[in-house]
Formats: sequence, structure tokens, C-alpha cells
Amino acid sequence: MTLPYAFDPEDALERPKVLLVDDDEVQLMLTSAAMRERGFEIVEADGGEKALSILADWLPDIVVLDAVMPGLDGFDTCHEIRSTVGFENLPVLMLTGLDDEASITRAYTVGATDFFVKSQQWSLLAGRLRYVLRSSHTRMELERSKAKLARAQDLARMGSFDWRKPHTTSGIAAAGGLTLAPEALRVFGMSPQDVVTLRTLIRMVPTPERRGMLRVLGDVHAHSTVLAIDVPVQLPDCRMRVVHVEAEPEFNEHGHGVGYTGIIQDVTDRRVAEDRIRHLANFDTLTGLPNRRQLIWRTERALDQARRGGHQAAMLLIDLDRFKVINDTLGHASGDELLVEVARRLRGCVRHSDQVMDGALESAGVRSHRSLEAVGRLGGDEFIALLPEVLDEADAERVSWRVLEAMRDPIFVGGQECFVTASVGIALFPRDGTTVADLMRNADVAMYSVKNAGRNASAVYSPMLAGRGREKLELETALHKAIERDELVLHYQPKIDVRSARMVGAEALMRWQRGHTLVPPGDFIPLAEETGLIVPLSEWALREAARQAKIWSVNFGFADAIAVNLPNRMFERSDLVEHIHQSVSQYGVPHRAIQLEITETGLMKDLQNVIPSLHRLTEIGVEISIDDFGTGYSSLAYLTTLPISELKIDRSFVRDLGITPQSSAVVTAIIALARSLGLRVIAEGVENLRQMEVLHRLGCGVMQGFLFSRPIPPDELERWLQQTVLPRKAPWIVQASADRVDLTRTTGGFRP
Amino acid sequence: MMQSTSPVAGGGFQATGDRPWQAVLDAQALASLEQLDPTGANKLVSRVLTTYRSSLARLLSQLSTARAQSDHGGMKLVAHTLKSSSASVGALALSALCSSAEQAARDGRHDALPDLLDQLETEAVRVDAAVQKLLSEK
Repeated sequence: MTLPYAFDPEDALERPKVLLVDDDEVQLMLTSAAMRERGFEIVEADGGEKALSILADWLPDIVVLDAVMPGLDGFDTCHEIRSTVGFENLPVLMLTGLDDEASITRAYTVGATDFFVKSQQWSLLAGRLRYVLRSSHTRMELERSKAKLARAQDLARMGSFDWRKPHTTSGIAAAGGLTLAPEALRVFGMSPQDVVTLRTLIRMVPTPERRGMLRVLGDVHAHSTVLAIDVPVQLPDCRMRVVHVEAEPEFNEHGHGVGYTGIIQDVTDRRVAEDRIRHLANFDTLTGLPNRRQLIWRTERALDQARRGGHQAAMLLIDLDRFKVINDTLGHASGDELLVEVARRLRGCVRHSDQVMDGALESAGVRSHRSLEAVGRLGGDEFIALLPEVLDEADAERVSWRVLEAMRDPIFVGGQECFVTASVGIALFPRDGTTVADLMRNADVAMYSVKNAGRNASAVYSPMLAGRGREKLELETALHKAIERDELVLHYQPKIDVRSARMVGAEALMRWQRGHTLVPPGDFIPLAEETGLIVPLSEWALREAARQAKIWSVNFGFADAIAVNLPNRMFERSDLVEHIHQSVSQYGVPHRAIQLEITETGLMKDLQNVIPSLHRLTEIGVEISIDDFGTGYSSLAYLTTLPISELKIDRSFVRDLGITPQSSAVVTAIIALARSLGLRVIAEGVENLRQMEVLHRLGCGVMQGFLFSRPIPPDELERWLQQTVLPRKAPWIVQASADRVDLTRTTGGFRP
Repeated sequence: MMQSTSPVAGGGFQATGDRPWQAVLDAQALASLEQLDPTGANKLVSRVLTTYRSSLARLLSQLSTARAQSDHGGMKLVAHTLKSSSASVGALALSALCSSAEQAARDGRHDALPDLLDQLETEAVRVDAAVQKLLSEK
């Protein structure tokens, strides 16, 4: 398009350039003179051929053409001008005679901008020239602005459309129809040559969405309201796009809606971005499951629906058992892998819907709340299954069993198989809570009851659990502060060699001095294990035992070991050896001053992870004792290779000694085993002389139990040594003496 | 176009009896011609009148050729061109004759043409003489 005065129209219009074409020399001369006088710049041409040759290298603002000329006349010249590239919009004023109607019509046909009747009234001609220039300028501006709009719309993937209703005017029926601007056609992947009807476009909408869209169109049309919807469409090249349609109704003079005019826009990119943002905000990035926020949103809606529908809903809180151990030992990457697999399995336990259509919820009928059903990740190793409708408790429990069952197969992560179990707490709406927060809390209470009862199970909430839960929470808080408040103490139970009537070591047992009450280990150690507090607790115990060993060595030459009970998870920690080393170094006692006791069950549960620690501990001189021996399922094959020093016969066998023949058989077997493996053997829970006597006879000479001393504070133990052992006053010493015990050595300090 | 329908007092040309061209050339038309060059610096009127004379001579010769060959198109074109330039210099009678001849040619009334063209040629001679006289006075 040629824009002769695009950038400085005022300047150009001040002295417009005119190409004046007339074969009549007199006329040419006069018109030129008159127009020059009126502010025009004139170039003359005495015929059509001359005019075209001038135009080849000069561009006027307007051409004034005499219609009737010999040779190339005005009409032919105008036609030539119009068919020249760049001159499509050059204003051409055709001069004709007043009495020549045919010429006037012909002038327009060949593309003249306007015509003017030849006259000597020069000011009229000048006025007409200025008018044509102005309107041509305005028209160019309009063309330019239209082009700009089209470009902008193309960039915005936008285009306009019009839709007319079929109507009847004065008894003549007129077909309605859809008109799409070329830009709008491009949005639909079509070209201006394509014939597009409303029906064509509707067919581009995938079937599932088509009904909803037609309903909206019908509603909008029926009420002549504004239309604004996003519609998915499949373009002719099969691409799926989302198109935003926005249109306003148009009315005739009678106020009747006659159609719609509006725009369509391809908003796919925006929608994709919005969806992505919405997804990030509502879904867990690791597992892709709904996150806490989304779960709460869904639960709120599910509860609304349940309230309206009068049915029950259920929330299952699923917490993996011992996930922290997996994370600590295999690393976070493996932990994440495991969570992803768990998420995948959990998803299969419910009718999981990733997407909830907002609109669908209101309109899709009574079963719409089913789409809320999902498994989501609350965070860490905690998941929630939301069941928007359950018949009863049993319904929810069945899902919880499905969850437990789904965990049964091992999960392969970090190069090894992991066995994962879960504890599931169930809370029902409205019975166990009417708000999201209540349901979550009570599902949590139920879940913790499972953990306490040994994990890998599910439990339904009951108010009774809640009481216990609160108590436990208080306990947990207090235990956290116990270490810093110095409320923990170690009590010691001596290990006695009855043949020499000497103390050959002591077992340290943790007590919690909580206010005026002494909390026994059974009441807080399980909680400490569950919460992970067992780690700082154990570390404290090791330091404290080392400190005590030093005091005793100073006070009475104690050179044996103090045995500290450690849970198996402590053995999995790579820093255990270092920690023991620091503890003994701090108090200047040898490594062998500390002995470690691990229960047989704890050892066997996680043998592979524990063995490396055992080796390193043995290397530095820390002896290992297997506690509660005989209660677990030791692999004898392992036992022969394990770096251990001592077996402790479980108290249950000792208790029944002399009562049931089976117990003495077991004890005999353990003693024989220990002897053949070169291990020491010690019996715990010895309460009376009969037990001592039997053990002694069976070949076990080292014992501990109430017969000798209950666990007592360290200063009391010193007193006990001074007042009971050294004076050889206790009945067991007398008994032992009778049993041919060497009584010549009487100190409690040295081992044979 | 017929200017005489709306008479306006001419400037430099007085409608007095001692100017013989007055009967042939319209004073008012000549006055408006003079207005295109009010100071006379461009000698526009003289140049227009001179050009008119040469144009008239050429067109008359074209006309006689066309008449000799019964070329109605040629006759029409001469009538058309002479019509407006004659009106411009105030030869209104000649212009009117041209108009009639052009219309007759356009309408295909060829039998009316000889008479009209005869009159046209006669009037053209008078006009040329008047223009020549006017130029000599300038």
C-alpha cells in the first residue's frame, strides 16, 4: 500500500501536488493557472500517454484527468493508473461534461475516486480537490489502522466475528449466518477461502464438551446476554486448542436481538500456564498427588456434599512406618523414590480423580462428589485418602486394608528391597468430626494408636483414643525437655560372679525423674523410640556411663564395664563409634569401660545394617552383649560369625527355673551354645537362691537380679558394695560359699 | 458551461460600443480570465488567447478533414474540445454551437450535423478575428 503522506499529512496537504491531464491546451493553461493561484503545485500533461510517463517517476497527491481526450482517453488512463502497483489508492478526479452521464458512470467503473464537471468556477474545483485529498487521506488512515488491527489480532491470535439470526423482513426470509474475519479464521486454522458455518465450528468441539457448550450458547441466546466462554477445539490439523469466545448481542430498532458480534481468541498458552500454576499450587511435585491445600479444598467440598446428601464421608490418614530409618540409611534420593512408588500404589486403592471440574461439581448430578475421591500427600511420609461417601465404618476399613495390602510387596529402591508398612487412622464424618481440622486431628489420633500397638494396621477413631493421645503428647513434650533439664538419671544393677562373690560389671538403666515421680523406662522408652528422641537419649546415656565409670574407678578401683542398652537404630548410625570414643575420651576411661547391650530381636530385625557397627565397636574394644537371649529368632549361623562377647539369658527362663523342666532345658542349651562359641553367659532376673543355685549348677556363674540388688543410684551402689558385698553379709554369699566358692578374694574390683 | 446565465460585472473589460470584439466575446468571461493573472505579470490572457488561436486553427483543420471523411467521431471530438476552450475565452456562441454539434454527434443525429458545423465554422472565423483584434489591443 502506498502512503504518500503517511508521516506528514499536514505539510503535504498545504501544497498538494497535482498531475493535471488535458488535451486541450487552453483548458490546461487556465486550470493550471487557477489551481496554482489556489495553492496547488501543478504538473501538466497534454494526454494520457504523457501522464503515465510522468507517473513512472513522480508521485502526485492527486491526478486530475480530462475524460475525453484523443489517443489514451481519461478512462483508459485511469484504468492504467489503477492497475499499476502502488497506485491502487492514488486519488483520481475525473473531469467530465455536465451533460455526460455515461462518462460519470464509466469514471467510477474504471476506479476514479470522484468526478467533477468542467467549469470555470475555479474555487469549486479547488474545493473539490481538497475534499478528495482529505477523504483519501482519511481512508488511508483507516486502511492503515485496519491493517494494524489485523496485525495485532494476528499476534494476539484473535479475530472478530459476526453472527446474524435468520430473520424475516417484510415477509422476505433472510438467511442468518456466521461471518469470520480472516484473522478469526486463522485462529481456527482455516483460510479465507474455507466455507465456515456455525455448524462447522461446533463440530470442532470434542463431543464431551460439546453438550455443555451448546447449553451455554442456548442459554445466552435465549436471554440475549453477553457470551464469554472458553471452548476446547480440535483444529483441522488435529491440534487441540482452547478458544475464548466473547460476544455481545446486537439489537434492532425494535429492541429485538438480531445477532451477536464479538471476538474469538486462542488462549491455549494462557490456559496451559494457568493450569501449570494451578497444578503447582495444588499438587505435590514429588508424587504428583494432590497436596495438603488441595486435600483440604476437596475435603471441605466433600463435607458440604455429605451434609447436603446426608451421607457419611471418611478420611484415612496413612503414615509410613519407620520411614525415617529408610531415609537415614538409604539417603533422601532413595527415600523420594520410595515415596513415589508408595504414592503410585496408594492411588490404586481408591477411585482417584486427579482433576475436579469446578463447574461439574454443581451441575453433574448427585454423584458428582465422587470426583473428589483421592489420595493426597500431606507432607513427609504422611498421606491422606479421602472417601467422599461411605456407607459405614466397615466401608472405610476395607479401603484401609487395601492400603496395607498394597504395601505388602517389597519396594526396590537404592539397589535393595525395602519392606514398607503403614499405619492408618480413620475418622468418619460426621461421627468423628464435622470440620476438616477435626477429622484430620482424629484420624491422626487413630493413626498414633496403631503406631503404639505395633504399627502395620489400621484403626478407627474413638474418643477413648483421644484421651490417650493427649496424654502422650504431653509426655512427648516433657521428654523433649527432660535432657536439658537434667531430669534423666542412670540407675545401675550389678553383675555378680557368684563363684567369687564379686561384682564384675554393671548394667546402666535409664530413669526419668519427672518431678517427684520416677518414670520407669517402659513408660517412656517406646515413646522415645517412636519420636526419634531415643537418639539423643542414648547418646546422653553413653556419656553419663563413661562419667560414672571414671568416678567409680577413682572411688574404688572399678575396672569393669558399664553396659548401656542401645536400640538397634543406634547401631545403624555411622557416628556411634565416634560418639563412644568422644564419651570415654572426655572422662579419661578406656573404651572397654563401655559395653553395649542390644536385644536379640533388635539385632536380628536389622542384622545387615547393624553388623558393620558391631565389627568396628569390637575393634576399638567395646564389647557387645545380646540381651533377652532366647526370646527372639536368632540365626545360629549368624551367631557364630557375629563379633559379640556375651549372651544374656532372658529373665523369663530364669523365672521358671526349678518349676518347669523346659526352662532348665533352654538354659542348658544356651549355656552350651555360649561355651562352644567362646562367649560369656549371664543370667538376668535372678530373684531367689533356688534360681541362683540351678544356674550355677548348669554352668552359669555370672548373674544379675533382685537377689543381689535392684537397679540403684550410683552412690547407693557404692554403699551396697561397702556394706553388703565386702562384709560378705548377704545370704547369697553364704549360699555361694557353701557351693565351694573361692572366698579368699573379696574385693568387688577385679575379674579373674 | 454557460457562464452567461449568471452575469457578473467584468473588471478590465468595459461593455462599451467602441470595441468590436464585444459582440463576439463575452466580457464577463474575459474578466474572470483576467482575474487568474490580476497584475498581468504573467501575460496569461495574451498567452491563453494566442494558444486559443493556434488551437482553433488546428481544430478547424481537423474538422474539415473529419467532414471530408464523414468521420463523426472526429467531428465530435473537435466539437467537444472547442466547446470548453471557447467558453473559457468568452466565445459563448461558438461554445454553444460546439455543444449542439457534440450532442447531435453523440445522439447519432448525423443529418443535423452539416448545418450545425457550417454555422460553427462561420462563427469560428468571427471569433478568431475578434481574438486577433483583442490581442492587438493588449
